Amino acid sequence: MVGSGAVLSVWLIEEINMERGYWIKSKPVYTSLKWHEKATSHLVLATGIGGMAVLKLFQQMHPTQPVKVLYGKYGQMDADYSDTLKMVVPEGLHIHKFDDALLTQFQLELRDAQMGLRIYVAGSEGFIWDVVAAAKPFGIQEMEIMKEQADTLARSVYCVHCKTISKYVTTNITACCGCERMLFVRDHFSRNLGAYMGLMVDAESPGELPAIEEIYP
Amino acid sequence: MSTINVKVAAIEAVTPLIKHFTLVHEDGSELPSFSGGSHIVVTMDAEGRTYRNPYSLMGSPTDTQAYHISVRRQESSRGGSLFMHEHVHVGMRLKITHPVNLFSLSKLAHKHILIAGGIGITPFMSQIEDLKRVGADYELHYAFRAYEQAAFVNELEEMCEGHLHCYADSQGERIDLNALLSQQPLGSHVYVCGPSPMVVAVLETARNLGWPENNIHNEEFSSPPVGEPFKVQLAKSDIEIQVPAEMSMLEAIEAAGVKADSLCRGGVCGRCELTVLETDGGIEHHDHYLSDSEKVSCRSIMPCVSRTKGKRLVLDL
Repeated sequence: MVGSGAVLSVWLIEEINMERGYWIKSKPVYTSLKWHEKATSHLVLATGIGGMAVLKLFQQMHPTQPVKVLYGKYGQMDADYSDTLKMVVPEGLHIHKFDDALLTQFQLELRDAQMGLRIYVAGSEGFIWDVVAAAKPFGIQEMEIMKEQADTLARSVYCVHCKTISKYVTTNITACCGCERMLFVRDHFSRNLGAYMGLMVDAESPGELPAIEEIYP
Repeated sequence: MSTINVKVAAIEAVTPLIKHFTLVHEDGSELPSFSGGSHIVVTMDAEGRTYRNPYSLMGSPTDTQAYHISVRRQESSRGGSLFMHEHVHVGMRLKITHPVNLFSLSKLAHKHILIAGGIGITPFMSQIEDLKRVGADYELHYAFRAYEQAAFVNELEEMCEGHLHCYADSQGERIDLNALLSQQPLGSHVYVCGPSPMVVAVLETARNLGWPENNIHNEEFSSPPVGEPFKVQLAKSDIEIQVPAEMSMLEAIEAAGVKADSLCRGGVCGRCELTVLETDGGIEHHDHYLSDSEKVSCRSIMPCVSRTKGKRLVLDL
């Protein structure tokens, strides 16, 4: 395949990508949730299979400070921990059917909260960065939020051409839901947008596409 | 490091112990603009030695005609502040560095809690100008020994219009840090500048209340402490230097004509870090840059403030 300029250089970058030890700094590294020892209250958010991370938190201990848990029962993967959470979380558990309702309650909680509140989130990467975006207007920086990636590895992809974000992309190459360009999904991640950069893959030779594979199931 | 030649335009005794110096460019041109919380390093050529002391800029960051610094007279120190108090006169020329900010305001903060102790008020005076200009929410908590010894209270009352809270130790007034820091809205940032015990108390209280590290800022203007005289060997330069009691190791290295990097000269920025090749374990770390484990390992030293009590210290310089 012949290409030049921006398109080719992206390919080169992604070629290097395959090398062992390669690591792109912007790609977030997630952790396992663990209670902050120093806090005045805790707010835990999770969806779907992320409920397991909440159960594991309560396996560690039940903190002395007030705790609230907001759980969305429909994650991407079919896993609902609502019943178990009701047994394990004695008070402060709020179960929502949909993510937007959960995020609305999250922002209501933040409106009256004070410094000392620590925030934890477990769920798909898309959900994690929706939470980050919801917290930002309250002056909360993303590194203050403890994040555990659970559920699908599907990526939000930002089209650098038309600026549309395509959600839940599971393949290395995807059609932009805004402009329908075929985008190569990079590892380059924007914390501000909560999405990976997508660059047109066949700009110089229209229709000539590498194999499309599901690599973010 | 490139320096700026300045002239002392005015000196004012603010309190019996604090003098306010106004510095203008030697040739009358404008000085570089700066951001609130910046400091400069003033070079003083005293007889037989050179002092380089960092001082916070306390004027308005938008005023590029003059820089303002305040110096508290420290009796038991190396002598830089005494030189400023006793030998610097109006019209005298001094060399200063370009302003550097190691204590900047967070642009993402929704509210700023400023806590000052004594002469630690100075960086906040330029920061308040910045905060007022952007209309940011803030509180200034200023603690001092007594009203008679407190600098700039009247100016601050005028500048801060109700955002100022004063605490005079002589009247038994103390900042209740726990009460102050446990009732702040999300997105608050706390800044502290003052004597070491105060800085430690603020950092500890904020951390214990669950404030994230990103929201806690401190500037501890530690001047190099006076210690025991000692000898240091510089391996690359292949010389041995005597460090007198009231001179910092960095000053002694510079006085010996060896080029050493530095920036804040107060143990904060880490620029002057040197690798320790050999030591018999007696390093007295006075900086706020190295982590506790790095301090224990004795592999690095900040010559601007740290010393040794040991007999042998060999540095990779």
